[in-house]
Amino acid sequence: MRNVIRFIWFDLKPELRPPVWIIMEWTVFLVQVGVYGVIISQLVTGINDYRRFFAVGLVIMITFDMASHTGRHFVEHAHEGRLPYLLSLPISRSKLFLAIALQGATELALMLALPLTVTLLIIGNLSLISVIACILTLFWLGFGIAGLMLGLSFIAFKSSDLYTAIVTGLSTIIIRFSTVLYPFIFLPAQYASAAAFSPLTYGSDLVRFILGFDPAVLLNPVYAVCVLAALSASTLGLGVFLIQRLVEGVKSA
Amino acid sequence: MFAVETNTLTKRYGKTYALKDLAFTIDQNEIMVLLGPNGSGKTTLLLILATVLKPTSGNANVMGLDVSTHPTKVRQILGIAFQEARGFWRHKPADILRFHANVCGVPKAKQEALIENILKDLELWEARNKLFMHLSGGQAKRLEVAKVFVQRPRFAILDEPTSQVDLRGKRKIWAQILRLREEGSTILVATNEVREAEYLADRVTVLDEGKSVVCDTVRKLKDSITGGDIVELEIDTADNQALEHALSQLEGTVKIANSGSNRFKAYVSMAESWVPRMTDTCYRSKARILSIRVTEPSLDDVFLHFTGRALRETTNA
Repeated sequence: MRNVIRFIWFDLKPELRPPVWIIMEWTVFLVQVGVYGVIISQLVTGINDYRRFFAVGLVIMITFDMASHTGRHFVEHAHEGRLPYLLSLPISRSKLFLAIALQGATELALMLALPLTVTLLIIGNLSLISVIACILTLFWLGFGIAGLMLGLSFIAFKSSDLYTAIVTGLSTIIIRFSTVLYPFIFLPAQYASAAAFSPLTYGSDLVRFILGFDPAVLLNPVYAVCVLAALSASTLGLGVFLIQRLVEGVKSA
Repeated sequence: MFAVETNTLTKRYGKTYALKDLAFTIDQNEIMVLLGPNGSGKTTLLLILATVLKPTSGNANVMGLDVSTHPTKVRQILGIAFQEARGFWRHKPADILRFHANVCGVPKAKQEALIENILKDLELWEARNKLFMHLSGGQAKRLEVAKVFVQRPRFAILDEPTSQVDLRGKRKIWAQILRLREEGSTILVATNEVREAEYLADRVTVLDEGKSVVCDTVRKLKDSITGGDIVELEIDTADNQALEHALSQLEGTVKIANSGSNRFKAYVSMAESWVPRMTDTCYRSKARILSIRVTEPSLDDVFLHFTGRALRETTNA
């Protein structure tokens, strides 16, 4: 386990010197909530204080971005020639996979620290229980998405461009056809059926349920728990299987 | 027990064979040099032994452990320096070595001194706090091999350890490799540099198109080339033709050419045995030897002899 922690810290350290990307992401979040959120909430009439709904949606989108980043990281490792080195280290493949997933989770935690605090302040529910429940749900969602993206990264292993194209297309569909930005009950029938297949729908509605949003505009939280559990177990299981059976560092003659 | 043993080892990419039915062994505490042009399968073999690639068929054992069934245990006893040092763009050399030493279980008490010594010896001390992306090609390569020297594994694999490194740096790396062997490590070096092979190898395996063409000591490989040694003679004699005939009848003579009035060029096998026979013949023929110059074949010639192609040509191709 010590090697897993070393691996995470080794990779994370340069990102924090200085933490420009975290500060940029926080700034974007604050501008989105402070400017766009305030304006758009005045236009939206079907839901009480849309800014609160919107802020949770942004937190979910950051979670999705960070989890996708984990998969991209893995493909980049392969193309930058770093993967053979990692594969030659005296760490089992499953621990290496765990280290990559936990590194993504740690980056997610850093990235969400401010947005989640601000969101809870806006909602007026900054309590220890709500913080813990939100963090657990977001990690759960993050693990599921990271597993999905790692699985995709194997498909697109030969080309980081192909991976980027797939993830960009997929993220557009997964985010737009979900309840990240619009409540389920307001979605047109065709959109709603598509949104039912987006993991973000269940992640965002579960977080909103935990934070005390009106359950009438959300999906049943029991469904959300079941879907997230199935997603994270299946995609992480698939990821571990693929890394143990298929991953090879480089193809050299 | 062999330190490394492969049997019918095959690696295929689609229809292309990178390795084909390779049978290959390395003795304990030996420096084995894999010599072959680019694309001969050297790197593929190294990566299979390092458990980074999986063989298509056949097996490979490192210190008695099968690389396919015990990959994690194999990785605990080996260290590898890759052909290209890449992927740590935002890290510093000292941090990279510290991370590597920690993960590979180098005792904490020894770590700092060891890292400092290796960085100083490989002339990376001044660059220890530069970002990896700011290192020159030679510095990055030296850092790559430094990982193995800090780790000091039982089985070290070095893929073209001195490519992009200047002559002074090459000598330092070679000295470190020899020191590692003195401490008991078994070492496998892949190279297409003849001089490196001659300097380091206990044995050389010539690899071509995924197959082991020949494996022996450098001396025996050179001696195995018929007519591989060239002896240039300047002899003062009354009868050139008679002497030329006498020399051509000597054991080990492949060809004699008279390249001037009293100059001869003899293509011989094992010059060290042929020269005494030649001096004896000259003495009996009352011929006076004015000068002798012996040149031996290089590993380039060995490669040419066993594969029918020149190493340098195929490397550049």
